[in-house]
Amino acid sequence: MSSVGIIANPASGTDIRRLVAYGSVFNNQEKVRIVRRILLGLEAAGVQQISYMPDYYGIVERALDALKTSMNILPLVFNAKADQRDSMRAAEILAQNGAGCIITLGGDGTNRVVAKGACNTPILPVSTGTNNVFPYMIEGTIAGLAAGLIAAGKVPQKEGTFTSTQLEVIVEQQLTDVAIVDAVVCDDIFIGSRAVWKMDKIKQVFLNRSSPASIGFSSIGGMLRSIAPHEPFSMVLELGQNGPTVTAPIAPGVVETVSVKNVRMMASGEEVALTHSPCVVALDGEREVEIKRGQQATIRLSTDGPLVVDVEQTMAYAMQKRIFASDVNIN
Amino acid sequence: MDLTNEQLLDMYVTMNKIRTFENRVAELFADGKIPGFVHLYVGEEAVATGVCASLTDQDYITSTHRGHGHLIAKGGDIKLMMAELFGKKTGYCKGKGGSMHIADLNLGIMGANGIVGGGPPLASGAALACQYLGNDGVAVCFFGDGASNQGTTHEAMNLATCWKLPVVFVNENNMYGISSCTLNSMCVPNIADRAAAYDMPGVVVDGNDVIAVCEAAAEGISRARQGKGPSLIECKTYRHRGHFEGDPCAYREDSELEEWKEKDPIPRLEQKLMEIELLTDAKINEIKSGLQKDMADAEQFAEESPFPDVSELTEDVYT
Repeated sequence: MSSVGIIANPASGTDIRRLVAYGSVFNNQEKVRIVRRILLGLEAAGVQQISYMPDYYGIVERALDALKTSMNILPLVFNAKADQRDSMRAAEILAQNGAGCIITLGGDGTNRVVAKGACNTPILPVSTGTNNVFPYMIEGTIAGLAAGLIAAGKVPQKEGTFTSTQLEVIVEQQLTDVAIVDAVVCDDIFIGSRAVWKMDKIKQVFLNRSSPASIGFSSIGGMLRSIAPHEPFSMVLELGQNGPTVTAPIAPGVVETVSVKNVRMMASGEEVALTHSPCVVALDGEREVEIKRGQQATIRLSTDGPLVVDVEQTMAYAMQKRIFASDVNIN
Repeated sequence: MDLTNEQLLDMYVTMNKIRTFENRVAELFADGKIPGFVHLYVGEEAVATGVCASLTDQDYITSTHRGHGHLIAKGGDIKLMMAELFGKKTGYCKGKGGSMHIADLNLGIMGANGIVGGGPPLASGAALACQYLGNDGVAVCFFGDGASNQGTTHEAMNLATCWKLPVVFVNENNMYGISSCTLNSMCVPNIADRAAAYDMPGVVVDGNDVIAVCEAAAEGISRARQGKGPSLIECKTYRHRGHFEGDPCAYREDSELEEWKEKDPIPRLEQKLMEIELLTDAKINEIKSGLQKDMADAEQFAEESPFPDVSELTEDVYT
């Protein structure tokens, strides 16, 4: 039986970047409407079983209020904490239960947490956060269709997914955390409000993907060269003073010019040491890991990151195989 | 955020001062020495401390029925506060107001407020005065989750945005309006979600992390000072004690309280400051014993102060 998981983060889109930048407000009622369209897409793709992360707002329950569906839709049962641990726990359970795909609603931060729990379950990330590089800005119906095609096996994983790289934070030779877009070394000692917006605090930027058309720190590297998420190398930028400059959109509505002392590429498996201690490492836009004075820390690129649904490729495969079309000839 | 060692220590001392004051008030209330009602701020110290760290004496705050923490963080005198709680003539309101009316206009403290939702219009009014006078002042409105559902809050926020007033609305969401859980009394999960309706920035921060509160407040206050208008900062927090002293708290689980005590803002900052060697066990003892002495002095001052004379009953009363 084809089964899909839904992890809709009720807290995404509320952090301090609405105050220090111009981040959009993504209220939960909009997430409800997106989930509604996702469910309709999933049903059209032939999915029979949906499991979802329970949340205090009841995003999926509210979505169901206005729908009639024959799908079996049930919440995951666990002791919810109303924080990011819920997303990770939900991803772990969905992976253990053999979900064919996990649809996420959130930003880069939400997807980082889900990726840690999802193992090799394909993720289809729908953007509802702040600095969104990893998730797609996509219509919910299409997300539902694509996830359903992958989960139902109508589009083989090798045709419709790719394995993303990820950055691994290693502290005292222990793997401590991962990033799926960027890891930024901040000259700070507190995690505090988590977001990073003061460029003079940033000393190093590690990127496992970059594009000149993306937002956030990956756009700094993106102004120099593009890195696709599956390519086995990353970029390391050392920021400082009196170097060549790069102007990039580091947050919604915030275009900053930074001075780059050094840029290099990092190969898969290679480790680069952090130049500052103590410091705080921000992962995918949020301060997460404190490095205490004297601790040795490195960042390594791994090719064993999350498995991600490529929506364009999935839908293109569906078109080629006429999954949604019978014997229609184009004259 | 660049905080100096002095600022970090100040915040640690302020949070402990509030905690020590409130714990002593709880004991005194139980002993029958304090008339009326008291609503204690234990557990929420990071909010008032983190916000007031970016305010000056020319800035205003409006407070709530749970106001002791705000007053202390803004520089209120604990001797005068304690005397007021005792109903003594030397208190902030000459002993006639009690816990929910303490004000100190010299410090920009516009008063605790027994009316739920009474503070927001006052804050917008103070902000209008600052704007009119062009004095660079900012008003901060502390309000609870219960007040967020009051019409006065809507009116104050709407007008603040229309007139781009220099005000920061700081919501202390401790999950309960008396005994009503926000899960049952609100149709959105975050009070900050409502900011969009007023076209003002609305953010959610960990209200038990004084650094997180301080960072957000500094940005909101700076924004207000620059004439960019109001903002709403929702601080998720929890009161360790009941709504009022004597509240049996039958509406919440003990396990919930225990979970929040694990996120107590004071040990969190203490641990961090010890890690960076700003605090030692000896320094902590010195700070805490100093605060105990200050409380004893305040209590003695209150005990020894006279009650107001009956002949003064109708003086300073406006309604």
